[in-house]
Amino acid sequence: MDHLDLEIKHEVFGLLGPNGAGKTTLQRMLVTVLSPTEGTATVAGADIVREADKVRERIGVVTQASTLDIELSALENMNLYGMYYGIPRSQRQEKIAELLKVVGLADRAKIPVSGYSGGMKRRLEIVRALVHEPQVLFLDEPTTGLDPQARAAVLEYVKRIHEDHGITLVITTHYLDEAENLCDRLAIVDHGKIVALGTPAGLKREVTGGDIVEADFSTLTDTVLKVLEKSDFVLKIKKRDGGLTILVKNGAEAVPKIVGLVDSNGGRLRTITLRELTLDDVFLNVTGRSLRD
Amino acid sequence: MKGALAVCWRDVLKFARQPIVMVSTIIGPFLTLVLLGSAFGGAITLAPIAVVRESYGPYSSSLIETLRNEQSCQLGGINCQNSFRLIDVPDLDVAQQMLHTGTVRAIVHIPRDLDDSLAAGAKDVITVTLDNTDPLSTAAIGPEIVQASQSVSPGIQTFGISTSNATINLEFAYRNVLYIEFMAPGTFVQSIMFVSIIAGGVQLVVDKERGIIEGYLVTPLKKHEIVIGVLLSGVLKSLFSAVALFILAVALTGIRPLSIFPTPDPVGIILTMFTLFLTALGLIGMMTAYAVRSTSADLYRVTCFPINLTLYYTSGAIYPLDGMPQWMKEISVINPETYAVHALRLLMYKGVGLEAIATDFIFLSAFTVLMVALAIVAFRRGL
Repeated sequence: MDHLDLEIKHEVFGLLGPNGAGKTTLQRMLVTVLSPTEGTATVAGADIVREADKVRERIGVVTQASTLDIELSALENMNLYGMYYGIPRSQRQEKIAELLKVVGLADRAKIPVSGYSGGMKRRLEIVRALVHEPQVLFLDEPTTGLDPQARAAVLEYVKRIHEDHGITLVITTHYLDEAENLCDRLAIVDHGKIVALGTPAGLKREVTGGDIVEADFSTLTDTVLKVLEKSDFVLKIKKRDGGLTILVKNGAEAVPKIVGLVDSNGGRLRTITLRELTLDDVFLNVTGRSLRD
Repeated sequence: MKGALAVCWRDVLKFARQPIVMVSTIIGPFLTLVLLGSAFGGAITLAPIAVVRESYGPYSSSLIETLRNEQSCQLGGINCQNSFRLIDVPDLDVAQQMLHTGTVRAIVHIPRDLDDSLAAGAKDVITVTLDNTDPLSTAAIGPEIVQASQSVSPGIQTFGISTSNATINLEFAYRNVLYIEFMAPGTFVQSIMFVSIIAGGVQLVVDKERGIIEGYLVTPLKKHEIVIGVLLSGVLKSLFSAVALFILAVALTGIRPLSIFPTPDPVGIILTMFTLFLTALGLIGMMTAYAVRSTSADLYRVTCFPINLTLYYTSGAIYPLDGMPQWMKEISVINPETYAVHALRLLMYKGVGLEAIATDFIFLSAFTVLMVALAIVAFRRGL
């Protein structure tokens, strides 16, 4: 992490960035597993360096890799967590029953977790982190490795948890749609720094001009690339497999110009499409490379 | 402290839900006990022996008859069977060939002049040739032949062993202890070691790899609570396995510890349990300290194998310490299992009180304190 300064309010906050950007490191500092070499942060009103114990009582954490005990039932897994937080038995049982109902696992609460699907396991892990009613819930890549349907269900529950329980959520992800749909605000992290910060819509607005042209080529010559790079209507060009992603000022005007330039410089287009901006394009704009790289 | 109990409870629950792990910590030592205990230390029976008879008088006939009836019993005096199976061989050369090819274990050569010499009141020599490439059979057969021969006539001298006129009266201080009983204490310690390695250490390394330990650290659990929980669950799990093995051994292999037979002795049982407890805490502490500093589960498993073997074989669990070379004796002095095996053996077969095993307890306690401290330090640094 490189000297970042960030304030997260009572919201769903996303940390977006490619693998190795430092999202997880940042999160591990905030949940008191790692100590910052300099500086500090306040989480749920407590200092992560001086009051780590208080922070731990007030946060819930769902790590990227599953830490469920698959030999044990959902009830037992949750009960153990309740015990770690020192919650009295009766209170624990009540809360666990309520939470399992929220994520639709009440009728399977007593079978070993090894018999659960990937999505069910994730849901269980998320509510397990809520047993002690934390003020902030940290989710590290909560939908990695899930099929689309399970992902949708997990996201649905995450959203509901924020709305119904009023918990601040800090989510790291590299899924754009997830960040876009779920998060109130986003920070794009790269090389341990925050390169962009704002609402998903606001971030997209920041990309001046704001249209994306995707051009696929059957023949792409160096001259074409050079000419396009020099053209004033082109803001940014990114080469990808089989074609180019071009950020332009005005899409409707740019497409015919691109077609003409390609033709006159010995290139041959297969398809050319105009599409809306995504967060990936925002990332491309601020870092010069794609999130997927 | 509630946190430590929660961590312990998790481990115990997991242990109970993994019957394969649970059983493997019992079945391994149990197989060692039954297989090794039954294969070793049994009396040699029906060993084929070549008799080359060149003299045909009453003494030689009596000798052969005595040899034929010589019985060998297991140490407990049960299941007695003939020690030897005599094979008449007409010629010494043929007999030697048979010894060489392994058809017989020994040759008893009755010389031509034996009956005449003995009848005349003189002494004579019977040569017994032993196949000493098999030291255990040799050790068993040799003395039995000598014993049988001398009962026929004091004038018989077996080769290389001189007779004297002194009578030796042997008395046994305790009941005879079977070999399987002798080695049983070592297998109880072994089951504790297995739990320390498999259910204790391996689980810890895997938990570390899976991020479960890191998961603990984002909860209000303190590091000392985690380590106490891990040690406590380890002790509970290993006592479970050791006691289960003890019960199995008593029920199925005929081991008769004095603390249970003929009447249960509460002091003996308490001392036995306390020995097992100290041993468990020490070994769990040792393996926890090691596991928490291990970087990979595979490396941990591979290195545990030689550690376990060394501790087991140098503890005197399967062979008396007196029979070991000096370098092994030196290892046994610092081996905690040595003291555990010694204490258990005394408690089980001599019915001793605390004073007889005080030294063992002192060593085990010191070892345990050291290892628990080491585990706590390793936990602080390793996480």
